[in-house]
Amino acid sequence: MNKMLAVVKREYLQRVRTKFFVIMTVLGPVMLMVFTVIPGLLFTIQTGNTRIAIVDQTEGGKLYQPLRDLLLKNHSDDEMPKAADVGESMQKSPDERMKQAGKSSTSSFVVEQGNQYGRSLEEIRQELNARIGRNELEGYLVIPADILTNSESKSSYYGRNVGDVFTREQIERQLNSAVRRERLIHQGVKPQEIDTLSKAVDIAAYPVNEKGQEGAEDSGAGFALVFVIAFLIYISTLLYGQVVLGAIIEEKETRIAEILFSSIRPFQLMLGKLIGVSLMALTQMAIWVGAFGLAAAYVLPQLAMRGNPVNLPKLPGVFFVYFFMFFIVGYFIYASIYVLVGSMVTTTQEGGQMAMPIVFLLMAGLYMAFPIIRSPNSNFAFWISMVPFFAPISMMVRIVSQRPPFWQIAVSFLSCCVTVVVLLWLASRIYRIGMLMYGKKASIPEVMRWVRQT
Amino acid sequence: MTNNNATVAIDRITKTFGDFKAVNDLSLAVYPGRVFGLLGPNGAGKTTTIRMIVNITAPDSGQINVFGRQITPELQDRIGYLPEERGLYKKMKVGDQIRYFAALKNLNGKEADLRIDRWLARLQLTEWKTKKASELSKGMQQKIQFINAVIHSPELLILDEPFSGLDPVSVDLLKEVILELKSAGKTIMFSTHQMEVAEKICDDICLINHSRKVLEGRIRDVKRSFQRNAVALRLEGGETVLENTDLVTATRRDSDGLEVLLADGANSQQLLRALVDSDAKVEKFEVVEPSLHDIFVAKVTETV
Repeated sequence: MNKMLAVVKREYLQRVRTKFFVIMTVLGPVMLMVFTVIPGLLFTIQTGNTRIAIVDQTEGGKLYQPLRDLLLKNHSDDEMPKAADVGESMQKSPDERMKQAGKSSTSSFVVEQGNQYGRSLEEIRQELNARIGRNELEGYLVIPADILTNSESKSSYYGRNVGDVFTREQIERQLNSAVRRERLIHQGVKPQEIDTLSKAVDIAAYPVNEKGQEGAEDSGAGFALVFVIAFLIYISTLLYGQVVLGAIIEEKETRIAEILFSSIRPFQLMLGKLIGVSLMALTQMAIWVGAFGLAAAYVLPQLAMRGNPVNLPKLPGVFFVYFFMFFIVGYFIYASIYVLVGSMVTTTQEGGQMAMPIVFLLMAGLYMAFPIIRSPNSNFAFWISMVPFFAPISMMVRIVSQRPPFWQIAVSFLSCCVTVVVLLWLASRIYRIGMLMYGKKASIPEVMRWVRQT
Repeated sequence: MTNNNATVAIDRITKTFGDFKAVNDLSLAVYPGRVFGLLGPNGAGKTTTIRMIVNITAPDSGQINVFGRQITPELQDRIGYLPEERGLYKKMKVGDQIRYFAALKNLNGKEADLRIDRWLARLQLTEWKTKKASELSKGMQQKIQFINAVIHSPELLILDEPFSGLDPVSVDLLKEVILELKSAGKTIMFSTHQMEVAEKICDDICLINHSRKVLEGRIRDVKRSFQRNAVALRLEGGETVLENTDLVTATRRDSDGLEVLLADGANSQQLLRALVDSDAKVEKFEVVEPSLHDIFVAKVTETV
C-alpha cells in the first residue's frame, strides 16, 4: 500500500510541477474561448460592404425604400422598424451602421436602386450583370410586380457569390418583413398597428414532477447545462486519456518496468499511475472551475447592475452529487480503456492509433444525448443510460431533463462501477506481461493468452 | 554445502516461450556471502533465469526458493535487482529518482537521504544529484541504476550484465564496490559474458548454453579440471626444441609470442631445460592456467 502511495505521489508531483501543467492550466480556458468564440467572431469580420442593387418591379416601387431601410438597419428579428427608427437609421453615419452590423454578426449592405425607368428588365439585368462582372456590385435582387398580391410569387437574387448563405438568408428575411408589412397595409391595416399586432409571443415553461407538483418557471438553462456536462465529460476524457496512455507506456519506453516489477506488484503500479494522473486532472479542472466560478461571481452582478440579469438554472443540490458521481465514473471508464490500450502497445504513437475507437465510442455517447433530451423516458433512453460506456452522459441528461426513478440511477451507476473494475482487472493482466515485451506490439490472440495466464 | 542453506536454490526449472525453450531443466544454487557468476553467450537463457528468480516471470515447471522460501512480493524487498533492460525517468532529478526507487523498497525518510548521499559519493556522482537523468552520460546513468539496486541494502543482489557499456575505470570501480558488498556479507549473483571480470570477482560460476547448464562449480575447481599443460613463451631461437614432438604437441602464435601445448608425459621443467640447452634466448616463460575465457569458448563451441 505504501508503495502504491509512492507511485501516486511521484506521478502527481512529476506532472503538476512541470511547466507544461502550468501553461496548460492558464491556456486551457483561453483555448476553450478561442475554439468557441473565434469561429463566431470570424463570421462577423467584415470583408467590405456587400453592394447590392434592388430591381423593384412593384407598382410605384413600394418595396424598395422599406427593404433598403431594413437592410441598412439590419434588425436581427422580424419586427418591423418603427417610423422613427427608419428616419434615425438614415441619419446614422456609415461607421455606426458598421458597428451595428457587427453586433448582430451580419454583413453590412450598400443598397442602390436598380430600376431605371424606360428600360426593360432584360436591359437592366444585362447592365447589372456586366457590373457584377466588373466587380462593382456583389449582386442584385429582382422583385416581381405581383409579389404583394400573389402568394406564389418568387423573387430572384443574382450574384457572384451565391454560396454566401448568410447574406442570402439576411436579404430573404428582410424582404419577407417588408413584403408582409406592405401586404398588411394593402389589406387595410394601419401602419401604426402593425408593430403591436406582429409582436412575438413567449411561452413560459413550468415543470411538473412525479407527484404532480408544479415547479418554478424553467429558463431553459437546464437544457444548456446538460450539454455543458456532456461536453465536460467528453473533453476531459479526450484531454487526460492521452496523459493516462502516456503514463502507462512511459515505463515501457524508458525500459524501467523491469526494475519496478522487482519492487512492486504490477497492479499496484498501474493503479498508482492511474490515480496519480487522475488527481492531476482533477487538480487542473478544479482550478478551471474555481477560476470560472470567481469570474462568474464578478461578472454576474455587473451584468445585473447594467440591467442584463442572467438567470442561473435552479438545480437541487442532489444534482451536483450525481454530476460528480457520474463524471468520476465516466472519466474512469474511459481512462481504464486507455490503460488497457497502453498495456498492449510499445510506443505512444501506436497507442494513439489504437485509441481512435475510444474516441468514436465517446462521440457516439455524446450524440445520443440529443434524442434522449427530447424523450428522456423512452425505452431508447432507458437502455442507453444502462450501457456503461454511454451511461455517464446519457444518465446525466435524463437526470437533468426528467429525473428517472432512483433505482434506474443506481443500476446505471453500479453498471459503470463494475465496468471500471472489470476493465482495470483486464488491464492489469495485460499490463503485467505487456510491460516486459519490448519492440513489438502484441497481437490480439497473444493478449488473450496473457489474460488467461496466471 | 546443501541446498538447504542456499540463498537461491533453483531446482529443475523450465521456461518456454511458444516453441522456444529459453531455460531447460536448470538447477543451481547460490550460497550466502559468495559471488556467483551466471555465464553464457547471448541468448543462452541468463536473463530469463534471473527474471524468474526475482519473480517477474514464473517457471513453467520446477521450483525456485529464495532465502529458503518460495518467492513472494515481501521477499522482493530483500533483493536488489539491476536488469539488463534498464532505464531511468529522463526528466526526474537523480536524487528524487533514487528516493523513489528506495520508497518502492519500503525505505523512506532520513535514512534514505543519508544513503543516497553516501552512494553518490562512493560512485563519484555527488555533483549530479540535482541534475536530470537525461543530462547524464550512459555510463553515469548505469551507475545510478546500480545505486537504485543497492540503496535498500539488500541481502541478495542480482545484477544482469552490470559491466556492459562501462569504461574500464568504471568497471574497476564497480568491481571494487561488489567486493565491498561481498565482504559486508551480501550474496551477489550476476550474469555476464565478460570473462575477464568474472574471473576476478566470482567465487562460483555456472555456465549455460542453449538453455542448458554446461558447467558449474567453484572457479578454482573448474580451472583445475581444465588444466592442460600449456606454456606461454617469447624467445629467439630454439626452433628445434619446439619441433620435438616428444616435448611439444602444438604451437600457437599470437602477438605476444608463442603458446605451446606440452606432450603427454612431458613437463614444463623439461621444456625449459631443453630450451636453455639449445642456446635459445628466453624472454618469457610462463606456465599458463586456462583462462575462464578459454574454458568458455571451449565449452560453448563444444556444445554447439
